[in-house]
Amino acid sequence: MKKVIALLLAMVMMMSLVACGKSSSDETSKDGSSETIDLTMWCIATESDSNRHAYEASIADFKAAHPEINLTWEATQNQEYKTKIKAAVAANEMPDIFFTWSCAFLGEFVDAGRVYCVDDVYAQYASELPEVMMGNVKFDGKYYGVPTTLNIVGMFSNMELLKEVGYDEVPATYEELIECCDALVAQGIIPFGCSGKETWCVTEYLESIIEKTAGASVLNDIFAGNASWDNDDVAKAVGIFQEMIDKNYFDPEGIALSNDEVKANFIAGKYAFYMNGTWNCADFDKAGLSDKIQVAEFPVIDSSKSKLGELIGGPSDTLAVAASSKNAKVAAESAFEIAKGICRYGYLDGNGLPAWTPDYDYSSINSLTQSVADIVANSSQMVLFGDTAMAADNANIYLDYVSQIYSSVINGQEFVDGLTKDIK
Amino acid sequence: MKKLYSNKLTIILFILPALLLFALILFAPIFVSGYYSLFDWNGFGKMNFIGIENYKELFTSNSIGFLKALGNALLLALLSVGVQLPLALGLALLLGKGRKGERAFLSIYFVPVLISTVVIGQLWLKIYNSSYGILNAFLRSIGLDNLTRIWLDRDTALGATFVPILWQYVGYHMLLMYAGIKSVPVQYREAAMIDGAKEGQINRYIILPCIKPILKISTIFAVTGSLKSFDLIYVLTNGGPLHATEVPSTLMISMLFLRNRYGMGSTIAFLLIILCFAFALIIGRMFKDKEED
Amino acid sequence: MVKLNDIFVNRNKKSGNLVKSKGKEVWVYILFGIWALINLFPIYWMFTFSLKSNGEIFGENVAGLPREWLWSNYKRAMAVGNIGRYFANSVFIAIVTIVIVMLVSLMATFALTRFIWKGRKQMNKFFMLGLTIPIHASIVPIYVILSKLSLLNTYSALIIPYSAFSLAMGILVCTGFMQDLPMELDEAACIDGCGAWGIFFRIIVPLMKPAVATVSIYTFLQCWNELMFSTIFISDSTHKTLPVGVQALSGQYMTEWGPIGAALVIATFPTLIFYAFFSKRIQESFITGAIKG
Repeated sequence: MKKVIALLLAMVMMMSLVACGKSSSDETSKDGSSETIDLTMWCIATESDSNRHAYEASIADFKAAHPEINLTWEATQNQEYKTKIKAAVAANEMPDIFFTWSCAFLGEFVDAGRVYCVDDVYAQYASELPEVMMGNVKFDGKYYGVPTTLNIVGMFSNMELLKEVGYDEVPATYEELIECCDALVAQGIIPFGCSGKETWCVTEYLESIIEKTAGASVLNDIFAGNASWDNDDVAKAVGIFQEMIDKNYFDPEGIALSNDEVKANFIAGKYAFYMNGTWNCADFDKAGLSDKIQVAEFPVIDSSKSKLGELIGGPSDTLAVAASSKNAKVAAESAFEIAKGICRYGYLDGNGLPAWTPDYDYSSINSLTQSVADIVANSSQMVLFGDTAMAADNANIYLDYVSQIYSSVINGQEFVDGLTKDIK
Repeated sequence: MKKLYSNKLTIILFILPALLLFALILFAPIFVSGYYSLFDWNGFGKMNFIGIENYKELFTSNSIGFLKALGNALLLALLSVGVQLPLALGLALLLGKGRKGERAFLSIYFVPVLISTVVIGQLWLKIYNSSYGILNAFLRSIGLDNLTRIWLDRDTALGATFVPILWQYVGYHMLLMYAGIKSVPVQYREAAMIDGAKEGQINRYIILPCIKPILKISTIFAVTGSLKSFDLIYVLTNGGPLHATEVPSTLMISMLFLRNRYGMGSTIAFLLIILCFAFALIIGRMFKDKEED
Repeated sequence: MVKLNDIFVNRNKKSGNLVKSKGKEVWVYILFGIWALINLFPIYWMFTFSLKSNGEIFGENVAGLPREWLWSNYKRAMAVGNIGRYFANSVFIAIVTIVIVMLVSLMATFALTRFIWKGRKQMNKFFMLGLTIPIHASIVPIYVILSKLSLLNTYSALIIPYSAFSLAMGILVCTGFMQDLPMELDEAACIDGCGAWGIFFRIIVPLMKPAVATVSIYTFLQCWNELMFSTIFISDSTHKTLPVGVQALSGQYMTEWGPIGAALVIATFPTLIFYAFFSKRIQESFITGAIKG
C-alpha cells in the first residue's frame, strides 16, 4: 500500500511539472442560435479609477438589453494591466473584448495578428461615430478597435492667483503668458507645477510647446516616424521650455514629486498653472474649483507655423476584440455598444470628451468639461500624446530624453540629435 | 539489498523529479536566454534573427546606457569588498573572541538579513524622504540644516541606494566569518598567546589563514551579489533619476517590460550569468594563488 | 578546514580568559552597542511609525514612541491594502514550495547516497552547479513559457521556479545528513521485507528531521522575501505575494505612512518572531547554505 502511495506521490510530482503542457481548450464551441453566448472583457476601470462608474453603468445597460449574452468583466490596475494584456496576447489567451490604448500599443497587437478587424461592425455605427475619431485605430486602412472618450492637454489656470498679479483672463498670447509668469514669480507665486517623477507629465508641457512652435503637422509626422526629429523648430521649442525652467517658472521641488502630489498642490492653490490631461476636470469640479479654475489651450508661440486649435491629445481609450474570440462578431458588436455607453456616461461624469456624437442632453456637465468641449469643437488638428503614438521601445527612449530636458542635463540641440540617432 | 539498491527503474523514479525541475527551470533557460539574445523580438510578434546586433547595440548605445549600469554594479562590488567585508571581518574578529553576550550581539547583527528587501527598501525610502524622513529630521535637530537634501536626487541617489545594500548584508558576512573563527580550535590561540603573540598577530597569522576559504566565499558572494543586485534598487529608485542608479538587472527589467525588447533583455541576462561565473572563477583563482605563496 | 557545524559547540568551552585589558573592553562594547543601534533603529522606527498618525510622524514626535497607539493603521492596511490576502498567498506559496523541495530533494538524495549506479557523482556535481545559477538567467524563458501556457498569475508560476531554485540547497543539506545514517538501518529494513520505497518513507524520512528543519528555514526565507519573479510573474491582486503587495500599497498610498508602516510590520514580524525562537537554527541554515555552496 505504502508503495502505491509513494508511487502516486512521485507521479503527482511529475504531473505537476508536465501539467503545464495541458492547454485549456476544454470549452466546446457553441453554434449560437438560442443558447446564451459567453463573453469576457478586461479593462483598467478599477474601483479607484474615475471611469469606474461609466463602465459599470454602460455594462449594466448592455446586460439589460442583451439577456442572451453573458458578459463577465474584470478590471486591473493600469500598470499591471499592461503586463497582463501583453502576456495574454503572447499566449493567445486574450479575453473576447479588451481595453487598449490606441495607436502604437494596439498596433503591435494588430501586427501580431491577434486583433479582430471591426470594419463590418463599424459600418453599422458610422453615423454615430465620426470617422475622424477612428484614425488611431486604423491600420493599413482597416479598423481594429472602437474609441470611448478622448482627452486633450489643457492649461488649467487658477484665476485667483492670476488676479493677484492683475490678470482677469488666461493670457491669450505667448508674450502675455511670459509677462504673467514674470509677474507671478516677482510676487513669489510659482507659475507651473509639473511632476518630474512621472515623465509623461513633462511631455504634456513639452509637446504643447513644440506643437505651438513647430506646428501640429510637423509634430504628427515626427511621432508617426514620417519625419526626422532633426528639426530646428523642435530644438528651439525645447530651448523655450528650458528657458521657462531657468526663469523659475516651474516648482523646483516638482522634480521629486509624483503627479498626484503636484495635482494636490495645484488644488491647494500653490501653482497658478497646471498643464495636464482634461480628465482632471471632474476632479477639479469635485474639489469645488469649477468657478476658480479656467482651462485654455497653450498660446501660440510661432504664429507662422502654428495656430490656435492645434491640440495635443485625441481618442486613446479603446476597446478591441480578440481575433481568437469564438464569437468575434458578437463580441465586436458588443464592444461598440459598450464603448458607446462608456463614452456617454464618461462624458456626463466629466472624465473626458465623447468620441461618439452625443444624442442626449449634456447640459448638466461641469463647466470645465464644457469649456474643453468648446476648445475641441474649434480644433483643427490633434496630435496624439507622444508616448501613446510611438511604439514602446521608441516611446521610452523619447521619455528618457524628455526627462533629461526637464533636469536640464541636455539642451534642445542635443535633444533632437539624440532622438534622431536613437529612435528607430 | 544490493539488488534492491541497483534497480534502475527505482533510481530513475527517485531522481527524475529533481532532474526535471533542474533541467527545465535552471539549465535550459540559460541556453534559451542565449538563443533569444540573438533576436529582435517584442515578446509576442515575429522573432527576427539579428545575430550579435543586440550585443553590439548594448555596448554602444547611449540610450541604453549598459556600460554605465555595469559600472555602477562594479562600483557596488568594489565597495562591498572594500567596506562591507572589512567591517564584517572586524566585527567577527571582535565577537569571535568569546566575550560575554557575543551570541546576543551576533543575533542582533543578523536581523537585517532576515528582513525582506522590499521592507528594507520601503523603510529607507521613508528614512530618505526629503520632507519628513528621519535622516533630514536628524540633521535638522543637530543644527546641520545645510546638509539636508533630497537624498534620492541625481547627485546623491547612487550613494543613498548603496548604503542600505551594504548595511543589510554586513550581518550575513559577519555570521559566516564568525562561524569560521569559532571553528578555529581554541588551543591554537592559547598556544600563540603563551608564545607571547599580540592580538593583532594572532588575528593575522592564525585566524585569517584558517578562515581563508570563508573569506573567499564572502568575496564571491559580495561581488556576484553586487552584479546581480536588484531588489533594493528597484524599490528605492528603479534605476532613476535619469539612470543615475541603473544596474544591469533594473535595465533588464525595463527592457523587457517597458520597452518590449525581449531579445535585448535576454542579452543582458545572458551577459550577467557569464559575468557572475567569470568573477566567481577569477576570485577563486586569486585566493588559490595566495594560498600557494 | 575544521567542520563548521561545531561553532556553537566550541562556544561552551570557557574562553573568557582570552580577553585581557578592561579599559579596552569598554570601548569594544560601546562599538558593539553602536552597531547594534544602527541595525535595530530602522526596525524600531518602522514599528513606531506604523502606530502613528501622519501628524505625529511628520511633526515633533518623529522618533519617539507613539503618543496615541493607532492600531487602526493595521486595520486599514488589511482592509484597503489587502495585506491579509497577500500574507495568506505568501504563506501558501512558501508552504507548498517547502513541501515540494523537501520531497523532491529527499528523493533525489536517497538515490544519490544509497543507490549504487554509474554517474551518481557526476549527477551530484550537476545538482551542486545549481547553487551558483542566478535567477536572472531564467527570467525571460520562464516568463515566455509561463505566458504561453497562461500560467502567469497563478500560484504555480512562483511555486515551480522557487522549488527549482531551492532544490540544490535541499539536496546539499540532505546529502550531508543522509550520508551519516548507517547502512545497517536499510539492511535491517530490507530483511524485514521493505522495498526501496518502504525504506525511504519508513526509515530514512523520519530520521531526516534536522535536515528538514534547515532546508525549510532556508526555503521559507527565499520564498518569503523574493521580489523579482513575483513582480514579473504576478500582476493580479488575488495572487500577489507580500513583497509585491507591500510595494503596490506604498505606490498607491504614498502620503499615508501609518498604514504602509503597518504593512511593513506585517511582512516582517513572522520572520522576526520565528527568529526569536530559532535564531541558532536559522543562522546555522545560512552558514550551511553558504559554506557548502
